[in-house]
Amino acid sequence: MSTHGVGASVLRKEDDRYLRGRGEFVGDIQLAGTRHVAFLRSPVAHGYLRNASIPNECRQQVFVADDLAAVAPIRAHSTLPGFKSSDQPVLASGKVRHVGELIAMCVADTRAEAEDIVDAIGVEIEELPVLSDMLAAREAGAPLVHEEWGDNVFLTTDFEQDLDPIIARAAASVTRTIRTARQSMSPLEGRGVLARWDSRLEQLVVYTSTQQPHIVRTGLSECLGIEHARIRVVAPDVGGGFGYKGILLPEEICLAWAAIKLGHPLKWLEDRRENLIASSNCREHHYTITVYGDANGKLLAIDAEATVDAGAYSSYPFSACLEAAQVVSILPGVYDLEGYRCRTYAVATNKPPILPYRGVARCGVCTALELMVDALARELAIEPTEVRFQSLIGPEQMPFNNITSKHFDSGDYPESLRQVIDTIDLDSIRSRQQRGEADGRRIGIGFAMYTEQGAHGTTVYANWGIPMVPGHEQCTARLTPDGGLELRIGAHSHGQGLETTLAQVAHEVLGIPLEQTRLIHGDTAITPYSTGTWGSRSMVMSGGAVACACDELARRVLRIGANLLQCPVEAVRLKDGAVQGAAGSIQLAEISRTWYLKPQELDTEADPAGLEVTAGYKPEQDSGTFSYATHAAVIAVDPLTGEIELLDYVIAEDGGVLVNPMIVDGQILGGLAQGIGTALFEEMVYSTDGQPQASTLSEYLLPGPTEVPDAQIIHLETPSPYTRFGVKGIGEGGCIAPPAAITNAINDALRAIGVELSVLPVTPRRIVEAVAAASDSSLGKVTT
Amino acid sequence: MSKVHVSTIINDDTVEFLCESEQTLLDVLRDDLRLTGSKEGCASGDCGACSVIMDGRLVCACLLLAAEAEGSTIETIEGMANGSDLHPLQQQFLDHAALQCGVCTPGFLIAAKALLDRNPDPTETEVRYWLAGNLCRCTGYDKIVRAVLDTAAETRN
Amino acid sequence: MKPVDFDYEQAKSVDEAITLLTQSADALILAGGQTLGPMLNLRLVQPELLVDITRIDELVRVEASTTHVTIGACVSHAAVEDRRIADLGHDFLARVAGGIGYRAVRNRGTLGGSVANADPAADWVSCFAALDAEILVSGQSGQRIVKIDDFLVGAMETTIGTGELINGIRMPRLGASVRCGYAKISRKPGEFADAIAAIVHDPDRGCCRVVVGATDGLPLLLDNDALGLGPAVALPAVLDPGPVRDHLAWHMPVPDLYRLNVQCAVLQRALADAHAFPS
Repeated sequence: MSTHGVGASVLRKEDDRYLRGRGEFVGDIQLAGTRHVAFLRSPVAHGYLRNASIPNECRQQVFVADDLAAVAPIRAHSTLPGFKSSDQPVLASGKVRHVGELIAMCVADTRAEAEDIVDAIGVEIEELPVLSDMLAAREAGAPLVHEEWGDNVFLTTDFEQDLDPIIARAAASVTRTIRTARQSMSPLEGRGVLARWDSRLEQLVVYTSTQQPHIVRTGLSECLGIEHARIRVVAPDVGGGFGYKGILLPEEICLAWAAIKLGHPLKWLEDRRENLIASSNCREHHYTITVYGDANGKLLAIDAEATVDAGAYSSYPFSACLEAAQVVSILPGVYDLEGYRCRTYAVATNKPPILPYRGVARCGVCTALELMVDALARELAIEPTEVRFQSLIGPEQMPFNNITSKHFDSGDYPESLRQVIDTIDLDSIRSRQQRGEADGRRIGIGFAMYTEQGAHGTTVYANWGIPMVPGHEQCTARLTPDGGLELRIGAHSHGQGLETTLAQVAHEVLGIPLEQTRLIHGDTAITPYSTGTWGSRSMVMSGGAVACACDELARRVLRIGANLLQCPVEAVRLKDGAVQGAAGSIQLAEISRTWYLKPQELDTEADPAGLEVTAGYKPEQDSGTFSYATHAAVIAVDPLTGEIELLDYVIAEDGGVLVNPMIVDGQILGGLAQGIGTALFEEMVYSTDGQPQASTLSEYLLPGPTEVPDAQIIHLETPSPYTRFGVKGIGEGGCIAPPAAITNAINDALRAIGVELSVLPVTPRRIVEAVAAASDSSLGKVTT
Repeated sequence: MSKVHVSTIINDDTVEFLCESEQTLLDVLRDDLRLTGSKEGCASGDCGACSVIMDGRLVCACLLLAAEAEGSTIETIEGMANGSDLHPLQQQFLDHAALQCGVCTPGFLIAAKALLDRNPDPTETEVRYWLAGNLCRCTGYDKIVRAVLDTAAETRN
Repeated sequence: MKPVDFDYEQAKSVDEAITLLTQSADALILAGGQTLGPMLNLRLVQPELLVDITRIDELVRVEASTTHVTIGACVSHAAVEDRRIADLGHDFLARVAGGIGYRAVRNRGTLGGSVANADPAADWVSCFAALDAEILVSGQSGQRIVKIDDFLVGAMETTIGTGELINGIRMPRLGASVRCGYAKISRKPGEFADAIAAIVHDPDRGCCRVVVGATDGLPLLLDNDALGLGPAVALPAVLDPGPVRDHLAWHMPVPDLYRLNVQCAVLQRALADAHAFPS
């Protein structure tokens, strides 16, 4: 390992501008002549849009669906059998289907004036019954979100298997109902769009806070009917994505359309209220789940039905199918099961369209399954960690095809569990529990394990049949005349540190100093096509592409170097940023300068292809890498008030070869904070008439510095056999396990008083009510 | 409505501007004075992304009218470094990789500076409670807290 | 979220502030702006005029006599937290102030603003109730003094009238043997509380006021007799949970187990706080 290549914890190159407040996010970009947009959004969750009465004096500044009649609706179809399509009009037409849906675009010199216009418009909506609960929406006779469907189910997905033989020999089974709450990803920067028409280049230019600039370009092309070449999308600095910005927005389409029509730049910045009210959109799951085990605690089978609230429309490109269908294939987790049966429903409701939040379905399934592991353990009166040891896929079984044909590439799951047990000292927690607490609180310990598919590729996504399928990822690598290196990728870095880590990958191959390496990303005009940054794919895919492109550059540099040294290419090698041979050594910068500025010094043997390379890459086995971890939490709970204190938190994670361990730690710790939010704080509550109940961050609570404990991270490193350098995707893992680990800890603490929680977030109120119900109940065990 | 004339000192420079009564200090800093380092994260005082120091005190610029800044001295993130030399806090944030997407970073740096200006030797608990008004969705706070504590320790030595 | 258009005036005196308030149909007082700011940004209020009262010297005064301390309405929470004002006794006010919101909010938010807003979950509301404070109200016809129990009418509701503003809050100086305790439970530090308890046990002045706050309405002044409390009785370290629970449940119009539990808990914690602070 070099000091600046793969494995080095080098400082981040991108930090200087952010530290000085010189980052350039969409909201920071100012173009002359820009006017501002505010949207009139539906105040009701479901209804027929009868009329929008616009005062005459601002009629020219207001645009409704009829004005955008030539714009195609957003349509994200899946070819999975039975998937029902939803057309999402860019501005509501006919019907509104969720609070916050766009009705009109208002343009003015300032945002405040645009909001004045919004306030002046009278909207008549004939209200319809609201589907605010996904289970009710599934029932026969429920009102319909999309009337032409006949029901409210986007998609049903099944994994069928006859479990009767297994059930017959199981020593124990437990059945539970588990719910996870609807969340809002809430990156600190909301969405934002700045659109203009470049009349010199005859091109639409859209600056947008997105994770997928090329996908947005494709979507704009389809909806606006403009060819790709006349559209340029730029993702500048982006303030957090987490999946929230993996979407083609109706706002993007509206502003792009208006920039062309009105001939001046237009800007819209999503404010926090819009973010919470119009877009709260992920992770609402319901599970009815049974697990079967043998007398030793080995998990034999899972039988589950899951419902996912997909919201009113299928968002582009991930579609409404993804999260629910994914539940089926990943629910088995890290365990070697003999039997499995699962059916899921992706249900349409009168809520904003769902998006894949970090971890996607994995957070919900880990919560469901790991709670069941502990429930089974309690049923059998053995340690939950023992159930896990009995059931885990072992290292000797790797690579492993699980019961749903997921191909796990590598890993030692039992070892990560062992290390966490040792580090958190399970035995001492058990002793402490026996002693009791002087202050009347109860101590609990909980574990959770997951394996995280990252960088899943062509075959996997072709099966989903959604508007986006990743193929080979490209990188264009170019040496500059002074020996610098430019790397152009189609993915985007918005916190992942790719400006640093991809430079490290390039350095591993070419030896060029990091200060002379520049990552160019986000601008469709100057980067190769990519489906973008999602699914923990960037290091595997863009990293692999960078390495491939640099490999080819290295070959060309060696040929030119050999040429200049007048020796065969076999006699030279690339080392320490120079081509070195017996006859001498030439710096890369000198080779570069010769190629660009003094080609006369090269003889006719020189390869004309030059010092700019576009290479494509995907792993041979592109079913994805599997990073994994064990999390353990120790908590104290006050049964009277329901207050929770996180006393200790240990993570043993294996992300394969880590390019920059310091950055990986940051990703894990950030994920942990989000996981604590999921476990204890975050819930976007909707009333029965579909009104979101939180509109500010004092109502929708995000974890702050006082909510996140000091956590210990242990790194294991099992390379992936399939990727360049053995790297794996790790970006999502940190947030997947905490809800299960923390809930298991709470249930461990309260088991002696007959309480088991199975609804997230585990709030003080829910704990208090569960404790009371358990003490009132003569049955003993109560689940809430 | 009528414009307001405001005289301030911002990052040691005398700055005068005209603004609307209803413009917040954050709006004027970002849109009119082109000091875009302070960010709007919530407009309700819950996230700290707009933190600036006014007359030596940490405040949320989104909850101040620009007109209220008349006669005040304001420090924003843009004034924190000394030319090309980073402030010790900024350097520690860099050394700890205490930032990811960068949006909350100016707010945290300003808030941390306000803390260390008042209490050069805070405990970890004091750091976390002081920074409770700043939200980050990326880092999980641990590296931020370490960076602040290490800055305090380094400054004491 | 941008506010509507409005005019802005900085009043230089209380009289000028009152004149400005009464001249405009839709005028609001601007003090610290920590409650008003979000409401303006969210367009929950749409005034025509904001009258900034923070430059009025009279409103940032602190007057201390042998029996009382009067704090101007525009004194910030941070000024109290930082102990830049006279101590009532037992460092009580500073201890309460330090838990209000976040530091940035405390640097601007004011005592008067908090009381005028009368959010049941606001710290000063419960604290002033426990202190039996008096609110000084300035209006067109001069100044009136209103006891806190009379000033607070309900959740977010006071007896302040049009063209009136809070001038200051007057509190009794506490006796030498006073014990004061304060505790609250909230989801996150800095957020509004789910339950508050404030205790002022002042035998030298013959008073014992135990308040439970963050109710749905007014702060609840507990019945000393029902709980065996009183100025002549030593403040217990712990209260018998049964009578406490019954008493609080009786005062809860809509039964809410969680609220009842946390109210019981903060009361015990406030007692512990009262004993923990050296007198």
